[in-house]
Amino acid sequence: MPILNIQLAGQDPSGNQIPALVALQQRGPVVQVSVSVEQNIAQQLLAQGIALPAPETGFALIDTGATSTCIDDAAAARLRLPAIDVVTVASASHASTQQNVHPIQIEVIGLPITISAPRAIAAPLAAQGLLVLIGRDVLQHCTLFYNGPAGSFSLSV
Amino acid sequence: MAVLLEVEREFYAAHEAEWASAHPGRFVVVKGERLLGAFDSIEEALAAGAASFGSDSFLVRKLGEKQQEVKIPALTLGLLRANPQHPTSGSGS
Repeated sequence: MPILNIQLAGQDPSGNQIPALVALQQRGPVVQVSVSVEQNIAQQLLAQGIALPAPETGFALIDTGATSTCIDDAAAARLRLPAIDVVTVASASHASTQQNVHPIQIEVIGLPITISAPRAIAAPLAAQGLLVLIGRDVLQHCTLFYNGPAGSFSLSV
Repeated sequence: MAVLLEVEREFYAAHEAEWASAHPGRFVVVKGERLLGAFDSIEEALAAGAASFGSDSFLVRKLGEKQQEVKIPALTLGLLRANPQHPTSGSGS
């Protein structure tokens, strides 16, 4: 079972180190990832001679409050991801919206960890500095340990 | 962002009960007003859809599964804090 262990580090605007627990509290559990089309679709497209766009890279935030995993909608367009459904996203502050669903594969950069998210929801994440939100549809297959005092977290997949 | 698969979702709604009776718990692939087939897993459904329709969009749903509202409160409330005042980086293994 692959295990991801992360301890965040950070600097203040003057370049001074800030404690790991502060970095984790501010940034949340984030990890650098690479996203591409879901592997079963990728295999079929390659077999048909259809070139695949280069994977998108960026930060994924582990969000235990999210029902489903999300991908930035602009990145989904660049990856030319097919839509496989449309879902209604609830909001407490405004009207619910309909969002496309895309099949994706998430790879943790630098580690042999691949996560399949066949029903990732398109959402405007880039403005938040994010490529992906990892939601409970993925986390239901994982063990997450959040160590606030140490400023670290681990995810076993 | 254009919301897609309107024809497919209407076709699914019109035939869901019939298909759920014939293929309970399986994943169906729909393109236009055509049912491609019913499959045991979403991975099989995705592969079959891509084999038939390439990189075009197609509907994949699990029969008998109620469509529920998705909740992403940090995003929808604008509470994601991914741009902290201090830049951070991760180190791990």
